Order: sequence, then C-alpha cells, then structure tokens
Amino acid sequence: MAGPETDAQFQFTGIKKYFNSYTLTGRRNCVLATYGGIALMILYFKLRSKKTPAVKAT
Amino acid sequence: MNENLFTSFITPTMVGIPIVPLIIMFPSILFPSPSRLVDNRLVSIQQWLVRLTSKQMLSIHSHKGQTWALMLMSLILFIGSTNLLGLLPHSFTPTTQLSMNLGMAIPLWAGTVATGFRYKTKASLAHFLPQGTPFPLIPMLVIIETISLFIQPVALAVRLTANITAGHLLIHLIGGATLTLTSISTITAFITFTVLVLLTILEFAVALIQAYVFTLLVSLYLHDNT
Repeated sequence: MAGPETDAQFQFTGIKKYFNSYTLTGRRNCVLATYGGIALMILYFKLRSKKTPAVKAT
Repeated sequence: MNENLFTSFITPTMVGIPIVPLIIMFPSILFPSPSRLVDNRLVSIQQWLVRLTSKQMLSIHSHKGQTWALMLMSLILFIGSTNLLGLLPHSFTPTTQLSMNLGMAIPLWAGTVATGFRYKTKASLAHFLPQGTPFPLIPMLVIIETISLFIQPVALAVRLTANITAGHLLIHLIGGATLTLTSISTITAFITFTVLVLLTILEFAVALIQAYVFTLLVSLYLHDNT
C-alpha cells in the first residue's frame, strides 16, 4: 500500500516530483489537476454560450 | 397469472395505512437481548453467531474501523433476517424494494467516503489514480475511477434487490408450473417439484449470502477509507 515510507523510494525531479502516478502526493495532484481542468472547461463553455447570441441578426 | 406474479412486491396496506414500517421493525423482536451473565440456549447461540461474524468481519479493520462494529452487525442481522422471513409464503420482503436498499446503501457508502476524506484526505484523493498509470492515461483513469466510486452504492442496492426479487419470482413461476402440471403429467410435476425444493434451498442460502455480501462490501469500503 502506498504511503510516506514507500514514497521515499521514488526520487523524481522537476515537475514529475509533483505530478506522477507513483507517490501519494503525485497521484493526489494529478487527480486535483484533472478535476480542475474539467471545472475550467465547463466554466469556459458556460461563459462562451452566454456571450454568443442564439440568433445572429442579418 | 401476470397480475399474481408481482402482487407480492406491492407494499402492503391495512385500512389504507401502509404497514411497511411494522414489517421492517418485526425482525428485531426475534432477537432477544441478553439479560443475564449465563443466558438460555437461544440467546447463547445468538451471541455465539454474532461473535463469530464480528470477529471474522472486523479482523481486517484498524481501531477506527472497528468503531463501526455495531453498525455492521446490525446490518447483517437485519438484512439476513428480513430475507429469511421473506421466504415464508404470502409474506412481504422489504429488501425487494429498491428504495429501501438505496436508503441503506447510500448513507453507509457516503459515511465511509466522508470518513476517508475527513481523516485521510490525501490518500482518499490519491485513490482515484491507480499507482503506476502511464502518463497519457491519467485523466481518463481519474474519470473512470470517479464514476466507479459513485456507482458503488447503486450496485450495492441493485445487487440485493435483483437477487431477492429474482429468487421470489422464480419460486412463484416454478410453483405455478408445478401446480399446473399436476393435472397434466404427474412425473413432470414431480420433477418440477424437485426443482422447486432445490430452488427453495438455494434461496435460503442466497438470503444469507446476500446479507453477508452487502455487509462485507460496506466493510471493505470502510477499510479502504480508514
């Protein structure tokens, strides 16, 4: 089972230190980043549909 | 015939008042509470069974998980006794109702998830991504794991409902077939009756197994979160 003891065996550098699928912190950050990305996409499409009018005047 | 097949699943009423709460509370009076240091045979057997089940089920849990002992034991006793009482002819089985099973599954599952997020937030979030996942697959797997988490209470409830309902329906159908065949062919009726007896024995086993599976899965969800 992953934990702080098993996380110590992985020596990542750079961005992989915070975003990887091996350490507990890395996995948590990947999950949060995925949820954040989905939330941003939903927000983008909601705001975009408010700005663009339904019927363009000719 | 069609109308008779599903009438046993209609919630019973008496003078317009639904008596389902009484039926749900009924199994509790079949479990006498121990009142002496050395009880009578029935209570001793009941205590022995509860100790056996609780030791086996709670051995995997940490101290925090073992605080759920009363909840889990009550759950298995309730579902087991309700399922067994439902095998009596002309009785109503509350566990055939999806509403009731969802009412049990959702709060218990939500309790385990909330416990996990409260005491082990990092590990609970990290659970959504299996260890060693290749980088390009991470977003897809997070979404899949999230969906599988939310499916858990639904699967728990539907499993119990479907198993008990299907068993009762089969008993109805094969019992009806046996009755019809007695006037047509005695040998075929006898074979069908044998199948009915075997099915009834199976349903007794299914009643207990489904209670155990429901409780075990809740226990496993709790173990993952404590």
